[in-house]
Amino acid sequence: MPDNEYVVQMKGITKVYPNGIAANQGVDFNVKKGEIHALMGENGAGKSTLMKMLFGLEQPTDGEIFINGEKVNLTSPTVAISKGIGMVHQHFMLVPNLTVAENIVLGMEPKSKGFIDFKKAKQITEEYGKKYNLYVDPDAKVRDIPVGMKQKVEILKALVRGAQILILDEPTAVLTTQETDELFKELIHLKNQGHTMIFISHKLDEIKQITDRLTIMRAGKSMGVHETAGISKEEISRLMVGRDVVLTVQKEKAQPTDTVLKVRNLEYTNEWNKKMLDNISFDVRKGEILGIAGVEGNGQRELVDMLFNLNIPDSGTAEVNGKSIIGRPQREIRDMGVSLIPEDRMTYGIAGSATIEENLMSDRIANKKYNKGALFNTQAMHDDSDQLIKDYKVLCKTRNQQVGMLSGGNIQKVVVAREFSCNPGFIIADQPTRGIDVGATEFIRKKLVELSREGAAVLLVSADLNEVMELSDSLIVMVNGKIAAYFEDTSMLNDTIMGEYMLGIKQQSDEEVRRVIHE
Amino acid sequence: MNKNNLKGFEFFRGLVAILIAIAVAFIFIFICADDPAQALSCLLIKPIISNGALNVKSILTILGRTTPTIFTGLAVCVMFSADQFNLGGEGVTMLGGFIAVLLGIYLPMAAGVHAAVAIIISAIAGGAVMLIPALVKVKLKSSEMVTSLMLNYIILYVVLHFLNNTFADRTKGSTQTYEFLETAKVGTVVQGTELTYGFFIALIATVIIAIFMYRTRWGYAIRMIGINGQFAQYSGLKVGAIIIASQIIGGVLSGMGGAIECLGRYTTFRWLELPGYGWTGVTVAILAKNNPIFVPLAALFIAYLNRGCELMAIYAGVPAEMLDIIQAIIFLFFAAEQFLSKTRQKLVVKEAKQEISAKADVKGENA
Amino acid sequence: MLNQLTSMIFTTSFGYSVIRITAPILFAALASVVAEKAGVVNIGLEGIMMFSSLFGVLFAYWTNSWLVGVIGALVIGAIFGLIIGVFALKLKTNIVLAGTAINIAGSGGTIFLLYMFTGLRGNTANLTTPQMLIPRINIPLIKSIPVIGPIFSGHSVLTYIAFILVAVVWVLLYKTPLGLRIRAVGENPNAADSVGVSVLKTQYIAIMLSGALAGLGGAFMSMYYSQSWNTGITAGRGFIAMAAQAMGQCEPVGTMLSSLLFGFASALGNKMEGLPGFSSYLVASIPYIVTVVGLAIYAVTQLKKARKRG
Repeated sequence: MPDNEYVVQMKGITKVYPNGIAANQGVDFNVKKGEIHALMGENGAGKSTLMKMLFGLEQPTDGEIFINGEKVNLTSPTVAISKGIGMVHQHFMLVPNLTVAENIVLGMEPKSKGFIDFKKAKQITEEYGKKYNLYVDPDAKVRDIPVGMKQKVEILKALVRGAQILILDEPTAVLTTQETDELFKELIHLKNQGHTMIFISHKLDEIKQITDRLTIMRAGKSMGVHETAGISKEEISRLMVGRDVVLTVQKEKAQPTDTVLKVRNLEYTNEWNKKMLDNISFDVRKGEILGIAGVEGNGQRELVDMLFNLNIPDSGTAEVNGKSIIGRPQREIRDMGVSLIPEDRMTYGIAGSATIEENLMSDRIANKKYNKGALFNTQAMHDDSDQLIKDYKVLCKTRNQQVGMLSGGNIQKVVVAREFSCNPGFIIADQPTRGIDVGATEFIRKKLVELSREGAAVLLVSADLNEVMELSDSLIVMVNGKIAAYFEDTSMLNDTIMGEYMLGIKQQSDEEVRRVIHE
Repeated sequence: MNKNNLKGFEFFRGLVAILIAIAVAFIFIFICADDPAQALSCLLIKPIISNGALNVKSILTILGRTTPTIFTGLAVCVMFSADQFNLGGEGVTMLGGFIAVLLGIYLPMAAGVHAAVAIIISAIAGGAVMLIPALVKVKLKSSEMVTSLMLNYIILYVVLHFLNNTFADRTKGSTQTYEFLETAKVGTVVQGTELTYGFFIALIATVIIAIFMYRTRWGYAIRMIGINGQFAQYSGLKVGAIIIASQIIGGVLSGMGGAIECLGRYTTFRWLELPGYGWTGVTVAILAKNNPIFVPLAALFIAYLNRGCELMAIYAGVPAEMLDIIQAIIFLFFAAEQFLSKTRQKLVVKEAKQEISAKADVKGENA
Repeated sequence: MLNQLTSMIFTTSFGYSVIRITAPILFAALASVVAEKAGVVNIGLEGIMMFSSLFGVLFAYWTNSWLVGVIGALVIGAIFGLIIGVFALKLKTNIVLAGTAINIAGSGGTIFLLYMFTGLRGNTANLTTPQMLIPRINIPLIKSIPVIGPIFSGHSVLTYIAFILVAVVWVLLYKTPLGLRIRAVGENPNAADSVGVSVLKTQYIAIMLSGALAGLGGAFMSMYYSQSWNTGITAGRGFIAMAAQAMGQCEPVGTMLSSLLFGFASALGNKMEGLPGFSSYLVASIPYIVTVVGLAIYAVTQLKKARKRG
């Protein structure tokens, strides 16, 4: 029997996607009225999916949802809003050239004789702003206001539509420390007004600071609900960061030699004034796989972008074999022996409607081997493409198939086939096995180790704990744009240690971290 | 979906589009014509068959008419393949024709060489002019479409200015230049038809461009950039330079087309407005699905319809301009991705099911 | 030479003709603004103007009323806007291509349709009667003011409507719920969607409004400017309108100003025809050159701004 104490009850929620991936398995999630409840978990743990279902953006494959004791079918955000649920998205849903007031009343504009009643809109904005201590300038254009105020506008949008239950998706990801403090004050104020909040985050300090209870999710399952005050950070870490199955990778011990990649003092502050890279310095050597572990959003994305000229740092250097790669055209970076397996394979890794062969050859079409004067040496291309398809076990009918039609795993194998076969001296692998089948995953990991032992330097960025712990020889942990730890030998690590460093509970000294520089 | 099945489906879709257009045309004919049956036969049959026999002259004229639109069609293919909506073919064609005729008048040379030189210089001029929208797109990140559309009118008025004020033959009744020298003429293949040697140059150009797009690294780069610019950059291709190159090539081809048309079909330069080949080139490229090899076929189809409408106007009194409506309908349906998408979905599912059962059969045999 | 120029420009008749010439461009340019604001680019302005100019005359002829003609042109314009919308939004035709198809259909299709409906070839000069033309208005009081009077009074009803529409479009976009949603959908459809605004519905409305505005421009041409319909009546105004919108930074007032610029250049060209030392053709090309230069300058300033931010 549903309790009156609970505003939100999600029972036995299961969500299986068409491609077979089970994002949520039998999850129970209950939120009491008037509490701030944290929903925690690493990326891929299933917390975003769960909340999407609460906001009507997705429908559960199985399970029931009760709001205030009433069973509901949340088929769309409009329905969710009508039940008093509001969502503050991580990436703001605001229209930059409209004013704050206009953004807030969009879709429910107050009217007077057919025209927008701007006075009323401003009044509503100010009223709600005052009531909830969310001070915003109704007349300012959204493109001109700071990030902190943008978030307030998003919260007001939800409140103005009658939200009693607010879902906040990683709200502090884009805020500075100061703005975070302000946000927390606002949330407490909202709580005092009787609102209920679900706070999605993985930042232990913040959760300890502001939440009443917390639910931890891992690998699509709930690891239970706890009173925030009654659980230690270490315990949270143990529940959040851990592997149900440990996948060991067979590999010989690494014998790294010369340094290939030298990164020194990289600094980068993003467009929202958040420091994403804070004095990053490390080396990667021939014959070793250096992993970068850490919860996503701590600067890993930005770091990889800097190494392949998808972005430029504010200061600092990055050199491959003595030559700088910052700001260099990708052609030159590739000629220096650098390869990248991009995280976003559909945007960067492939041209979907082109053939497999065309995708395999994209980085080497100017090679003498494939050109007889002005024309392609099509036979050489065909032969090499077929060979790559065979070597990398790409499941397809012919090399002429559209690459976008292949399964995710096979698409990634095409990307990997290309990036590994150009004799790279330095490989950057960013989430190389995300969202692909077991067979392809195993294959790619084996290949990575093979190349490493043959002498390539590998930088592996992965949010998959198994991957980053088992595949890497050594690893660094990134937290808040800094290197929090360097572990020379990953075989000495366990989940508990990893969790503590990844979640910022522990941090190595500067000296210990400096050991990742091998000069 | 399997590439062959995909091609087959696309062909089917194209056919349906054409049938829809002809059905609409038929409705119009039925309303307008005194004798709908005769009008329809004019449209569809008369272009090649008259009085029960094959009308060779008509066929050759149709072929001759494809010449300028093959060039503009190729130009659009190249530019659209790079995802550049450059519509400047209209103006550049006119410019190419004008420069070629002027060179034919004022730069005497030996026979044969004269025409070749005039055509080449016009082509180069065409390419140079297309630098404007290209640079605006790449360096200033501004729309090449608006710039190229404006360019059409700038060229039009500049040419008209020089035509009227500097190069006009005042002895003639209508505005035109002097006659260009015989040495610059692109000869007619068969007297009495509109088929000139320019047609064969167009076919050669088709082969060259087809090879360029599918068998060279520059054509490959153009196509990859058109499919996914970020992928192209990440793979190390020089995106900016290639975008510029694609538009220059478009200019060269359009200029060449205009030059060959003027030196072939006319004796003076007498275009007083934009000739319209640029727009037809867009239709041709759409029909050819941006594949150069299909351009002559698409151009032939349009020229056939063109002739059909012409005959319909002469013999059945239905205005030839119905061609534009037919063109537009075919165009719209051809370019509609979701047209018949449900049918395509069914085919994909059917194919998948067939594969699964085929594999099961194999397993069953092995078991 | 300069004296000749100035003596030509500073006449009231010149001012009058500038306004007269600007009006049709303004209709189409406003059409472009509304569509662009919603994120659905309307390239087919030229074609829509061709069709609506023809149908305006036809409707007026059949009902012997210029008002019906104008309304008919407006409706036809909206219908073609809808056609572009269906192909672009539902059938996923590239919207630039959809507009281009309408343009291609417009140039010849109108000649054909004229024949189909009336048996006439090429123009409707034989059809037009005074009741079919848009009447002029001599505004009392204003018409008596020296200088201002002759310039601003005596224009057709539709001329005044064109300029009034600048305000109407501005009010629509910035003061009504529909306008707010149009701007939201055009700038961030996800944001609009997240608050329950139907992106598709809004875009359909916008493109139909755009078509209707272009339709009025067409009506202006055939029922007032040229006093009848003939092939090529629009003469590229649909494209000039696109440029005017771009130069006006997609804002109603800015678009009005750039449309006036084109009107000015065009009127100047007309006056200079036949005068020694001036080529009317080169003058005619000035608006287009100005657009390219203007767009380039605008782009450069945008780039500089972005560099400062980053």
